[in-house]
This record gives sequence, C-alpha cells and structure tokens, in this order.
Amino acid sequence: MIATDETPLLRARGLKKSFGHLEALREGNLIVNRREVVAIVGDNGAGKSTFISCIAGAIKPDAGEVFLNGNPLELGSIHAAMRAGIATVYQDLAMAPDLSVAENIFLSTEIRRRGIAGRLGLIDHKAMRARASALMDELGITTLGDVTATAGSLSGGQRQVVAVARAVSRAGELIILDEPTAALGAKQSQIVLDTIHAMRERGFGVVLISHDLPRVLDIADRIVVMRFGRVVAEVAPKGQTVRHIVSLMLGEQSAAEESAGS
Amino acid sequence: MTLSNVKTDSEPAQESSRPKPAEQRSGPWSALLGSSALRSTTFYVACAVIALALIFALLTSGNFLSTPNLQSIGRNSAGLMLLAVGLAFVLGAGHIDLSVGSTLVLASVVSAKVTVALSGSGGAGWAITIGAICGVLTGAGMGLLNGVLVTRLRINSFVVTLGTMGVGIGLAQVITNGSNVIGLPTVIQRNFGVANWFSIPLPLLLALVVSLIGAGVLTQTAFGRHTLATGSSETGSRRAGVKVDRTTIGVFLMAGTAAGLAGFLDITRFGTTAISGHETTMLQALSAVIIGGTSLFGGRASVLGAMIATFISTVLLAGFVMIGVSSFYQRIAIGVVLIIAVWVDRVRQARANTT
Repeated sequence: MIATDETPLLRARGLKKSFGHLEALREGNLIVNRREVVAIVGDNGAGKSTFISCIAGAIKPDAGEVFLNGNPLELGSIHAAMRAGIATVYQDLAMAPDLSVAENIFLSTEIRRRGIAGRLGLIDHKAMRARASALMDELGITTLGDVTATAGSLSGGQRQVVAVARAVSRAGELIILDEPTAALGAKQSQIVLDTIHAMRERGFGVVLISHDLPRVLDIADRIVVMRFGRVVAEVAPKGQTVRHIVSLMLGEQSAAEESAGS
Repeated sequence: MTLSNVKTDSEPAQESSRPKPAEQRSGPWSALLGSSALRSTTFYVACAVIALALIFALLTSGNFLSTPNLQSIGRNSAGLMLLAVGLAFVLGAGHIDLSVGSTLVLASVVSAKVTVALSGSGGAGWAITIGAICGVLTGAGMGLLNGVLVTRLRINSFVVTLGTMGVGIGLAQVITNGSNVIGLPTVIQRNFGVANWFSIPLPLLLALVVSLIGAGVLTQTAFGRHTLATGSSETGSRRAGVKVDRTTIGVFLMAGTAAGLAGFLDITRFGTTAISGHETTMLQALSAVIIGGTSLFGGRASVLGAMIATFISTVLLAGFVMIGVSSFYQRIAIGVVLIIAVWVDRVRQARANTT
C-alpha cells in the first residue's frame, strides 16, 4: 500500500491476546495520525498495557495486524517496531538499574567510536555522556544531577523522566507512553506533558495510557476507552467531563450512547 | 474530580543537591576498571594481595619474594585467572557457570589426547598447536551448549551447568578411562609451561593478555554493556532492544572458551593431565570473582578485580607451604576471605546508597 496523506500513521486491527484462560485483549483497534495525541483510558485490567505491548512488539498477539504508514509491521518483535520508528516507555521503564543514565539512554543503540575501534565494537562513552546531557538540557530536565549516576540511584520520578527522554531520542514516527506521569511530581509531570506537546508539534504520533483523566482531557486529541479487553468507545475530549469518561470506562452507559460516542 | 490537583509533589527539592559520583578520570587504565565503586574494590583487593605477600615475606625473611617463588605463584594463577574472567562475564549477566572446572579438565584431556596422537607423526610443535586449538574448541563447545540450554530451554543456569559439570568430567573420564594422559612431548613444558619471557611465566603472560582483553570487552564494548544490562534487568534490557539471548549465549561461550584455554595451560604445566586435581578449581575461581567485586546477582562485574583476586588464593597457598602450615588451611583462609569480602562490600554499598 502506498502511503498517502489519508494513510494513518498507525493502524492496529483486531489485535487479540490471551494469557492462558485470561483474554487480556479481545479486540484491539486503533488509528493514530501524525500530529495526534491519542489517549487510551480504562479501568485496571482493561487490557491497555497488553494492547500497547502488542503494538510495541513486546508481546506477540494471537491475532490481528498492525500497519505503520500502511506497511505491515512484523508482530512480536521489539526490534522490528524500533526499526519502524516506534519508541515505547513501559510502565516498568525498561531500565538497567546498575548502568548509568547515559548507558541506559543508549542501551542497544550505543554510540560507537570512530574508525577501526568502532568496527571492533568499542563504544564512545564520552560522546554518549555528552549526548545524554544535551538531551536532558533540550527537554528542560534540570533535576537530574549527573548522567553518570546509575539508574538505580535515581528516584522513581527521575527514572521516569529518563525513560521518556530515551523514548524521545529514539522515536522515528510514533511514541507510546504507558503511564508516563504516574510516579511524577508536578514539575516533572509538566516536563513530560510539554515533551508530549513538542513531539506532536514535530509531527509525531503519540499514544498515551494514563489514569490522570483531567490531564488526558487537557492533552489528548482523541480518547479511546477500553473495557474488558475491548475498545468500547472513542471520544473527542472537547466538552467531555471526567465523570462521563469514567462512566464509559466502568460501563455505566447504555449501549446506544456508547456506539454514538465511537 | 480533582485527580490532578490533589497530586502531591513526590520529588522533594533536595534531589538536585544529591552528591555527584566521583569525578570521571580518563586514561586507559581507569577506563578498564569501570565504575568508581568497582575501582575502589579492585584497589582494596590489590592492597590485600600485596599485604599478604608482605606478611609472608616477613615470616620467611624475604624468601617469599624470590623470583622462582613469585614465578611459581604466577604459573599457579594463570588458569585460575582465565576461569575467573569468564565467570565475571557470566555472573555479570546474572547467571552462573558451575561447569568451568569440568570443562577445564575435559579440554585438557582432549588437548592432551590430540597432542599425543599427533606427536608421533610430525613435529611436536605442530601437534601441540593442534592440541591447543582442540582444547579451546572443546571449551567453546561446552560453553555454547550451556548458553543454548539456558536460552532455548529456559532452564536456570545453576541447573544447566550443574548438569554439564557432571557431563564434562564424566566425558573426560570416559575418554581416558579414568587415568591421566601421559607421553606428552616434553617441549610442551620446557618451551611453554615452565618457560619465562623476561622472568614472566609464559602461561601467566597469556592469561594476562587474554584477561585484559576481557576487561576491555566488559567496559568498552556494547557487548559488555549488554552483559551488565542483562544481569541488571533482563526484561528491561530486552524491551530496551538488547538481544538478551545472544548476549547470554555469548557470556557462556566466553566462559567455556576461557576454561578450554585454561585446560591447555594445565597440561603444559605438568606435562600430563590432572583429571582429579580440579574438584575445587571452579569454587576458587568463583570466590576470586566475587572477592573482586562482581555481584552474584548480576549487573555489576569487574574483570580486573577478578584477575587480582585470583592471587589471593595462590599467594595464600604458596605462603602457607613456605611457612610450614598445611595447605589445607588455605581453603579455610579463602572461605573466610570470601565471606569477609562480601560483607565489607555490602557495608560499603549500603553506605554509598544512604549518602
């Protein structure tokens, strides 16, 4: 398929995933356009993390397809998703606590030294530290003392910010964030939200999982509601109330209203 | 709904005043040492080795520091050092390899058998070279087997290598029918095993070169970072894009290969195999790795620390022999040193984390 302006950045269709008898994801459908922030909301156990893990390649779905720019994505491969330009911030942050901040930011994408040393696999620690520091400055992250500190020595909030910074530095097209502000204080939350705005302005697609509904209403262009492993509604945030979103999440709406919303 | 408004600021202001870690010194030497914590562990271990040597020197009115004695310690350390370096990688990746001692014996047997078989039909040098290669390949094969079993069958490395430990030593006994291989060409000892290069025993020199390359791989290459990342958080590393399985196979391959080379060094030393002489070799190497600052739980490893810590057991053994204390006490001493080293390390870590 040739990518046109109408081709969405991401199209996920009919994704399904069971863990034993548990049908974590029954029907995952999602469209994300360029310059768009799509929030996925739902109660605990609604299948949000499973859904985005299928898109990010961390979990191989039992059924379904994912297209990026109209091209089918190899499912169940983190590397294929990364190559295609998808970067993900997982809830567990995917950090190696014993490695430094700089090493974590460049984990699996290490900067090699120039010339023959690089061919031999030698990495350029200095360049990695410099680029990591520059990235922190660029994102306005000032609370982090030193990129040579180990990730394990950081506070939960600092680690989260580093995880977001890493995803930003890697994303080619689409960035997926699973609860990126859950552990953050007000100031760091704002940094992450500003970063999400900036990514959208630069033409990225953003998928955001969050329980923080007021913020979701504030930042998202579209809200996708999941319940019991299914996408049950899709609403525009404009004019929406938190109360209405919660009722969709909990299934307190009538079926007619739901379909009207989607 | 005030979900966002009631959120408290979980980041107190003092986080920006967190002390920065020790300054980054440059230069190739400090680069090989790795993080500042490991750097100081290596320093303490080096001090301990020197202190032990000085104590024995005092007790033997200087004889301990004689060149032949130091050379003997060096020859004793070579094989152990190779095992320790391989184990540092395996432990750093969060695994364990109990089979390195058995692999050493199997590789020595293969190496010796091949050398003996070939030395009748040509030059001894040729036969020894092929024997050495076969020994190293045997080790590599055992390491590869461990790595594949751990990653493909998803069996815990403790169990896998407990199994291959038995397989390795059993195969060595089957091949030799339990008796050591004799009839190796004497040049294997004269020209290599007990030979020196500027007073440095050749086997030690070889072990030092290989180990320093290992230190470079751990601290300076992507593979080294991925090894520690895997040991630090396997899921996290996988999600960050690290090829965890490939890395895991790689560390076992390295440990096996190093053990294979150590097996060859073993036959050059005495001109024969020592099938029943390595029951505690793996534990000695493991002790050295841990004393040297490598975490048993992965994520943190020091090749240089492991290299230096191998001298603790060889210095203790040589010293005890010279002052007339039974060598049995060496095992007791190493056991005590191991426990003290891990305890000191834990105290230092706890102190570092609370400041």
